[in-house]
Amino acid sequence: MGAMTVDRADGRSVNQLRPLACSRNILHRAHGSARWSQGDTIVLAAVYGPKAGTKKGENPEKASIEVIWKPKTGQIGKLEKEYEMILKRTLQSICLMTIHPNTTTSIIVQVFGDDGALLPCAINASCAALVDAGIPLKHLAVAICCGLTEGGSAILDPTKAEEQKIQAFAYLVFPNSPLSILPSAPSAEVDGPIENGIITSVTHGVMPVVDYFNCLERGRAACAKISEFHRRSFESQVPGDLTKAT
Amino acid sequence: MEQRLANTWRMTNNEKKFIESVLASDLRVDGRRPFDYRDLTIKFGREQGLSEVQLGQTRVMSYVTSQLVQPYRDRPNEGTLSIFTEFSPMADPSFEAGRPGEFAVELGRVIDRGLRESSAMDMESLCVVVGKSVWSIRVDLHIVDNGGNLIDAANIAALVALLTFRRPDCTLGGDDGQELIMHDAEVREPLPLIIHHLPIAVTFAVFGEGNIMVIDPTHKEEMVMGGKMTFTMNSNGDICAVQKAGGVGVMSSIIMQCLQIASAKAADITSKIKHAVEIYNTERASQKANHYLLEVANQVSLSDVIMKEKQVENLIEHLAYMPLDELENSNQGDALAVDTRTKHESISQGRYTRAFVRGPANWDPYSRGISSRLATSFPTLPGFWCVLLGPKTFLLETEETTLLHAENSLG
Repeated sequence: MGAMTVDRADGRSVNQLRPLACSRNILHRAHGSARWSQGDTIVLAAVYGPKAGTKKGENPEKASIEVIWKPKTGQIGKLEKEYEMILKRTLQSICLMTIHPNTTTSIIVQVFGDDGALLPCAINASCAALVDAGIPLKHLAVAICCGLTEGGSAILDPTKAEEQKIQAFAYLVFPNSPLSILPSAPSAEVDGPIENGIITSVTHGVMPVVDYFNCLERGRAACAKISEFHRRSFESQVPGDLTKAT
Repeated sequence: MEQRLANTWRMTNNEKKFIESVLASDLRVDGRRPFDYRDLTIKFGREQGLSEVQLGQTRVMSYVTSQLVQPYRDRPNEGTLSIFTEFSPMADPSFEAGRPGEFAVELGRVIDRGLRESSAMDMESLCVVVGKSVWSIRVDLHIVDNGGNLIDAANIAALVALLTFRRPDCTLGGDDGQELIMHDAEVREPLPLIIHHLPIAVTFAVFGEGNIMVIDPTHKEEMVMGGKMTFTMNSNGDICAVQKAGGVGVMSSIIMQCLQIASAKAADITSKIKHAVEIYNTERASQKANHYLLEVANQVSLSDVIMKEKQVENLIEHLAYMPLDELENSNQGDALAVDTRTKHESISQGRYTRAFVRGPANWDPYSRGISSRLATSFPTLPGFWCVLLGPKTFLLETEETTLLHAENSLG
C-alpha cells in the first residue's frame, strides 16, 4: 500500500476529512430535518412521513420512499434525477419497509453549497433527518467519498477542485457499526456480515481493482469515525420538542 | 395526487375561532401585538450572493448568479434581472415539487415588481457591449420553511443576496479590442451591483370585516385571514409596489393607516439589512487583508456536537465540528469534542483573529459587534456563542443577549 504523502490544496493529509457539522431539528414544518456540512459542501435534508398512499408503480404492500433533490440554482436535470434514484435506493435498504405498508415517506434534499462529495453529504444528511423524524431504521447509512490520485494513493473527502483533477473517485456508503449493549461483545462480531457489507458504491473514472479495494478499506475506516460522530450527535439530543405540529 | 390532499394539514375549528376572536382584543397567538414583526435573522453563506433569512419560523434561502447574455432588442444597453421562486416541498407538506403554483408565481412577481419597476437596481451598469452582451442577474429564492409571510422574508433574502453579490469584472481586450475577457476573482476584484434603494415588502393580513389588520402573519393566521395586502416601500417613503389580490374589502382610511405603519417598518428593516451587510463586508474585507485562521468553537443547542474547525473563512450558522482525522495524527492542534450540554469552551490554537466590528467606537466584546452570520438557527433552544477574538480569549453570549435576537426583534 503506497503511503505516499500527497500534497492537498487545503493542507489535509490523505486520510483527513474536512470538518463535519451536523445540526438537526432546524425546520418547524418538516417532521425531521438535518443540516450536514463537510467543509463547504452543505446539504439540508427534510423528512415528511409517512403519508397515506403510494405512488403508481410502487408496491403497496411495502412503504415507499420518495426523494426530491433541489439544486442550488438552475433546473432539475439528469444529474439530479440520478442522485434522487441513488439516494432512494440507499435509503430503501436501511428503512424498515414492512412496518407501514402503503405509505410514502418523502425526503427533500436542498443543496446549500457544493464543494465536492455532494452525494455522500446528502446521504449523511438524509440519515440524520430520518433519525430526527423518528422513522424506524435498521441501521444508519454512512457515506464517504474516496478518490484515487495518479500516484495510486487514495485520498478521502476530496474537494471539488480535487475531484476534477484526480483520475477516479468513488462514493461509498457503509452501514454504521452497531454498538453492542452487552459489555463483553465477542470480537468475532467485528468481522461479521454487517461490518463487511457495503450499501452503495458509485464510481467515476477508471481505477484498478486493487486500488478500488484499497479505497473500500479506507472508506470503511473513515465511516466508522463518521458513525461515531453521528452517534454522539444523536445521543446528545434531549427529547425536547416531541410535539411537532404538522 | 389525491393522497397528498388527504394528508394536507387542516386547521381545527377551535384554532380558527380562537385566532379570530382574540384578534378582537388585539392579541395574537404568538404573543405579539398586531403591528409587531417577528425576529429577523440574516445569515450569509460562504460564497458571495448567498443569503439565508429567518423571519420567526419562516426561512428563505436566496442565491444570486450572473451570466453574460445578449440583451433584449428593445433595451440594448440594459442588463436583465430574473427572479425564480422555488416553493420547496420541505417548507410545507402542501407544496408540490415541479411547476410553481400560483402563490409561488405571485411571490416572484411582487418581488420582481418591487425591484424592477422602482429602478432599485441599476440595469445600465450591467451593460458590457451595447447590443451584444450584458449581464443577466438571476435570483433563486428557495423557501425552506413556511412559517407564514413568505413575501416579506423572500424579499429581504433577495435584497441581502443582491447586496452581497459580486460579479466578475470584464474588460474588452484581445487582439482586435473586441474580445471580452472575464477576470478571475484573484486578478481583479469582483464588482458589486449598483442598488439605489431597498424596496422592502410589508404584508398585512385582514380579518373580520376588513377592519382588523395585523402585520407579518404566521401561517396559522394566514389560513384564517380574510385577505392580504402587501406594500413595498423604501426608506425614502416611496411606494414601490402594492399588492392586494382579492379578499375582504378594506376601507381607504385603513389603507392610509397601514401605509404609515409600513413606512416605519420599512425604514426599520432597511437599517437592519444595511447593518448586517456592513458587518459582513467589513469582515470579508479584513479577511482578505489578513490571512488568518478563524477558529470558532460554538456550542449551540442540544442537537449539535462540537468539533474543531480549521481554516474556515466564512461560517454559516450551526457550527458543530469534529476532527475526523484519527487515522493519522492531526497537525491542527488539540482536538476537542465537548458535550453539548456543558458550558462551552474551546481551544484556541489559532492565531489572532480580528473582531468582526466596524471600528473602535463600536467595539465591545460583550454585545453587538458580532457578525450576524455566526448566528445559530435554534430559536427555541438555549445556546451559547463562543467567538475567538484572540489567542486564548473568548467571549460567551447566551442567546438572550446575542445581538441577533436583541437587535432584530422589532418592538
